[in-house]
Amino acid sequence: MNNVTVVWIALPLFIGFSSYLLPRSNRFLALGMALVSLVYGLFHIVDPTPLTLNLVGNFGVILRVDELSGYFILTNAVVTAAVVLYCWHQNKSKFFYTQTVILHGSVNAVFICADLLSLYVALEVIGVASFLLITYMRSDRAIWVGLRYLFVSNTAMLFYLIGTALVYQANQSFAFTALQTAPTEAIALIFVGLLTKGGIFVSGLWLPLTHSESETPVSALLSGVVVKSGVFPLVRFALMFEEIDPLVRSFGVATALLGVGYAVFEKDTKRMLAFHTVSQLGFVLAAPEVGGFYALTHGLVKSSLFLIAGNLPSRNLKDLKHQPIPRSIWLALAIASFSISGFPLLSGFGAKVLTMKNLLPWQVIAMNIAALGTAVSFAKFIFLPAGGEGKPKAGFWPAMAILLGGLVLANVVYYEAYTLGNVVKPLATIALGWLAYLFIFQKISLKIPRAIERFDHLIGVMSLMLLLLFGMVLA
Amino acid sequence: MFELRSLAFIPIVTDRFLSVAAPSPLTLPTTTQSILEAWVFATIFIGFIGIIWKRNLMMKILSMDVMSTGVIALYVLVATRGGLLTPIVTGNSASTYADPVPQAVILTAIVIGFSIQALMLVGVMKLSRDNPTLESDEIEQGNTP
Repeated sequence: MNNVTVVWIALPLFIGFSSYLLPRSNRFLALGMALVSLVYGLFHIVDPTPLTLNLVGNFGVILRVDELSGYFILTNAVVTAAVVLYCWHQNKSKFFYTQTVILHGSVNAVFICADLLSLYVALEVIGVASFLLITYMRSDRAIWVGLRYLFVSNTAMLFYLIGTALVYQANQSFAFTALQTAPTEAIALIFVGLLTKGGIFVSGLWLPLTHSESETPVSALLSGVVVKSGVFPLVRFALMFEEIDPLVRSFGVATALLGVGYAVFEKDTKRMLAFHTVSQLGFVLAAPEVGGFYALTHGLVKSSLFLIAGNLPSRNLKDLKHQPIPRSIWLALAIASFSISGFPLLSGFGAKVLTMKNLLPWQVIAMNIAALGTAVSFAKFIFLPAGGEGKPKAGFWPAMAILLGGLVLANVVYYEAYTLGNVVKPLATIALGWLAYLFIFQKISLKIPRAIERFDHLIGVMSLMLLLLFGMVLA
Repeated sequence: MFELRSLAFIPIVTDRFLSVAAPSPLTLPTTTQSILEAWVFATIFIGFIGIIWKRNLMMKILSMDVMSTGVIALYVLVATRGGLLTPIVTGNSASTYADPVPQAVILTAIVIGFSIQALMLVGVMKLSRDNPTLESDEIEQGNTP
């Protein structure tokens, strides 16, 4: 299994660069890579014995693959496959597929590495590959959005690197386990980097603009898996160290409320989905034990929603109310919205029940409010009029088949969720959310100022987060 | 900023000097270490403030470079905790070697930082066609929906 892991992690880089040599088969190669990861991820979910690799001696690369990694790898595989299928007939250049495959590989690397420095390298490669995908259109706006993303992520990673130096100074080791005896400031610095990279709480406010202004397939990729590369190490730390667990959980609650607070008032489809990503990452962090399954269902549903939003006649929800969307697209939209609101029969339900069961008492009220906010936000989609004319892009249905099919199939992971008590509660939440939407939120038009999303403020917020984290770690 | 980066060779240079002048002690005194550490963190801080305060996009990128120079210097400084000798096996049984691991590791970060800067500068070049002044506020206003 060790050799398989090494080959699997190196394969995307090899495939990525060879798609330049084999321009006709790059779609097939990209899809093939995603399928290999699918098998690898599934294998580790079915057989959850953790696998630890220590490559090249004592100071070398440490890898660790377990069930948690399995779920994240599976998410990455399914989303990448869906995005490649979506782009199948769009004549994307070889450059696009190269970057997609390299991004896929570096995200996989994050999900299995267990030392701080390999994590740093993988996260930086993700930053570069995402930048190249965001700026694929070469328009001025795309370049600015990409530049802003790369700037924020690189500055955050510099803080992370300072933290890593302090960890090494204290322990002569870069392994995750060394965090146990690391000085508090090192933990604060590493957290600033990861929270920013993962789009959590106020340091994640770079995310809405980046994800909403990218091209449809790129948005799906970014929101579906790339942000999870910042979240995964946090979940891993929370599971490894008892002292870090409350820190991660409280950021989960805070970001769940912040994201959903923006999402309920947002009138632009893609921005709403992006803010909602900020909120859903909070659900992953709020209950780290079961974060893997939640990340899987969120990845599937959010990438399908972004692909659907790219095929709607308008981005503005007000216009969409007067402009009926094709019935088949509406159906896909409704299935995805139902899953994310936690409706039974779709795996979003199982994930939500499982997360709610693993919350600590102080988190319960806040997370229920966040779940209610989710139902309110997605009522906006469900109550859109159907019956219009129009055809989605050629690769749309194969991608939907994979993503929505995955949502139904993933039910088997936690079929014990289907008890009467469990079923009633989400239904009540959804009903309450719809009522709140119809009678309150539909009528309010509140425009939240975007000042905090300005570039200078995004960088400045990092120093504030650093202070906050110092306080939290010392407390 | 580029002069500071040559801090990366401190262990090698001081080693040469010291071996001529005085064969021992080959470790940095604690006070020197603390002073250097203060300078390193000052560099990081100045770079960070520069990213926020400089209005020109080009200057922002250069500020980021100053910040990353500081971080690189920090790794070199961490390496000198044990001693200043260049870690090359020569048969001498001196135990005051500089720790090779942080130095080796930071090479990766230097390469990554350099490639990211190259990418950013290409982006700025493209942007400068329509925004010749490169004022980040104006570019931002023009490109936010």
